[in-house]
Amino acid sequence: MTDIDYKSRGSILNPLRNLSFLTRKPVTLPLEPREASANYRGFHLNDWEKCIGCSTCQKICDNEAITMIHIPDLPEDPVKGVRARRPAIDYGRCCWCGLCVDICPTASLSLSREYVHTCEEHELDSYFILPDPHGMHKKFYGHGWHKTADEDLIDLERQAMPEQPAEQRLQSFGEFVQGYDMQQAIVEASRCVQCGMCHDSCPAHMNAPEYIRAIWEQDLEEAVRQIYRTNPFAHVCGRVCTRRCEAACSIGVRGEPVAIRWLKRYAMDSVGHERIREIAGEGRGDYLSGGKVAVIGAGPAGLTAAFDLARHGHSVTVYEAQPAAGGMMRYGIPAYRLPYARIDDDVDVIRAMGVDIQYNTHIGRDISMAQLQADNDAVLLAIGLWNGRSTRVPGSDHAQVRSAVELLREITLNESLPVPQSAVVIGGGNTAMDIARSMARLQLEQYGQANITLTALEDADHLLADPVEIRETDEEGITILPGRGPRRCMVDEQGRLVGLETVRVVSLHDEQGRFAPQYDDGDVQMHVADMVIEAIGQQADTSLLSVELTEALEWERGRIKTDAGGRSSVGWLWAAGDVVTGPDVIHAVADGHRVAASIEACLGQERYANG
Amino acid sequence: MGSDTDTRSREGALHGKDLLASKKSLQDILLVATAFEKTARDFYTALIPRVSKQIRYLVEELAEEEQRHYDLFTELAKSPDINELVHAQVTVPVNDHHFSDYVHMPEIGDAPDDQAILQYALAREHAAMEQYRDLANNTESGPIHDLFEYLAIEETKHKRELEKIYYETVHSGGV
Repeated sequence: MTDIDYKSRGSILNPLRNLSFLTRKPVTLPLEPREASANYRGFHLNDWEKCIGCSTCQKICDNEAITMIHIPDLPEDPVKGVRARRPAIDYGRCCWCGLCVDICPTASLSLSREYVHTCEEHELDSYFILPDPHGMHKKFYGHGWHKTADEDLIDLERQAMPEQPAEQRLQSFGEFVQGYDMQQAIVEASRCVQCGMCHDSCPAHMNAPEYIRAIWEQDLEEAVRQIYRTNPFAHVCGRVCTRRCEAACSIGVRGEPVAIRWLKRYAMDSVGHERIREIAGEGRGDYLSGGKVAVIGAGPAGLTAAFDLARHGHSVTVYEAQPAAGGMMRYGIPAYRLPYARIDDDVDVIRAMGVDIQYNTHIGRDISMAQLQADNDAVLLAIGLWNGRSTRVPGSDHAQVRSAVELLREITLNESLPVPQSAVVIGGGNTAMDIARSMARLQLEQYGQANITLTALEDADHLLADPVEIRETDEEGITILPGRGPRRCMVDEQGRLVGLETVRVVSLHDEQGRFAPQYDDGDVQMHVADMVIEAIGQQADTSLLSVELTEALEWERGRIKTDAGGRSSVGWLWAAGDVVTGPDVIHAVADGHRVAASIEACLGQERYANG
Repeated sequence: MGSDTDTRSREGALHGKDLLASKKSLQDILLVATAFEKTARDFYTALIPRVSKQIRYLVEELAEEEQRHYDLFTELAKSPDINELVHAQVTVPVNDHHFSDYVHMPEIGDAPDDQAILQYALAREHAAMEQYRDLANNTESGPIHDLFEYLAIEETKHKRELEKIYYETVHSGGV
């Protein structure tokens, strides 16, 4: 190859060659798009049926060419991970890099093979478009650049959580989920696109994108700081949260959602407890307000409210009937899912805020509600659902028909309970799975083998328990019989319980989706067992309220009527947690914040009024 | 149709089963049905102050529903169409499980909880539903058959609604 002679100016006659163009026939092409190459990066297309409005495209665009537009007619549902927004493109800024396409979690965005757009000066706004599947000029030229497996920036598979096999974990009540190591946590955190759908769906609106980013940056103290912005039960929620965040995760549309719960657990397990206490105490008021608040119940709602109120300088005393704090988290969730030491860690952080907890204190028996009212500026009722519901089918009043919540409480208290050689559990929720698995462990310990059958009204696809817990229950050898309704507990002539009779459920809900089970009386089964355990529902024991207070309160279909801040019709009493919202830790945490804000506002007004 | 006083005196004199078995005319059947609804209304009304305020709404709703049923029968009694038919003879099935049993005051304790109240209400509605269904099946096509068919459908709807409330009340709170 010869070198190019850069200094050569060519022939002096070269300009005359241009004269030859004068004789050529002019070529005029129509000013309309022509089909471009198959991989062309033309104007954007967006499939609105697939798009969830997550705004990931907007966040990745370095040119700030994308704006999320609110579309009033579209559905908006944070729980399902759907926003009523769609991306609009400013072609004055877009450089057609295609990153928005490559990152789109739902694969709704692509680029077309259309590439020509002109306009008059007064139509300059036409370069700002809201892409739809039809194309910029309502004419579809075919897909150009679109996401393929090679270009996809989304990692659809989550890091597997290491855990003990079933036969090993059944040997004890020890925690069998082992937690991520650093490498797994960083890889898992890198899957997050920071869309914030998790934040919207979380009842407590946890700052998950922020703590996931901090984990990815290996700044674990910052991750803990972000977690404590909204949740003082960080260890607990890192293990047993119901994970509304993951249900709404945009990555979950095509793949497995980011393991947000396990990342929270990783961050909390990676930072020393003393340092966590320091971080949680940052920003705490260094003054005493003079306000006094009594909280009844040391569960997640009561202690979250206590945490918030203590940070505001109020004197908070929590009254707990049990010998330890945690409520249903400790006395309703088995230790293999939530070790007591982790609950203790969370409670210790809360106590470090200055919260006083009085254990073994029964309000209504040891201290009256009237006394609490007289001694405090505000009283918060945050009791859990401690009473199990009974089917009340014939035979269910037999002594060997037990309540799941009672048995779980007895196991936590390490009370000696008669372990049946065989048992049938009625119920398809997490409590049913918990007692079935706990009983299986006790049976193995005592008899060397487990024999548990679980019957549920719901069919296999609609069991109420967490799918992970259903899988683990199945792995542990428990027979799950979905779609069966209890008919009667069988008792022999000697008065011994011998089993449960069930009938097949044909359908569970009516056309409006309301509970209306229909049975097939021709399909009846007998399940042999020497204990039947009912786990069908729970209710609060409100007997601690005096008759006078019960009459004074306004009720709403069996629950204490409260305003938006949780304040009851008697001004000094607030209510929060399971007794108001139903059983769920993260809902209880959110409720605790809500009620604490209401109490704080009320006490603040009183301080202002008193000068 | 007889007055409330008449109905009470009849109930006091006879067992419900005998009472029902002895009645053949439409008028008498409607009398028992009216008494059935009235007894329930009065029972629930008397129960309201005995239960905790927490579940009082439930008993109040049941009392209101039974009052509606009672009003329905009262209106039927005034209807000219029914007046033409009141002496028609209807074959009445004797059935221990039907609403003749429930004309009597039930035993559900001094302070029943929501589940016990709902179980009792469900049993009543089921009895009424079966009673009207049997009466409809025992009558030829025509206005009396249509009347019983209508009443059976009404009771069925109410029973189904109660079943939903029952399951939503009892099968809740589990995690």
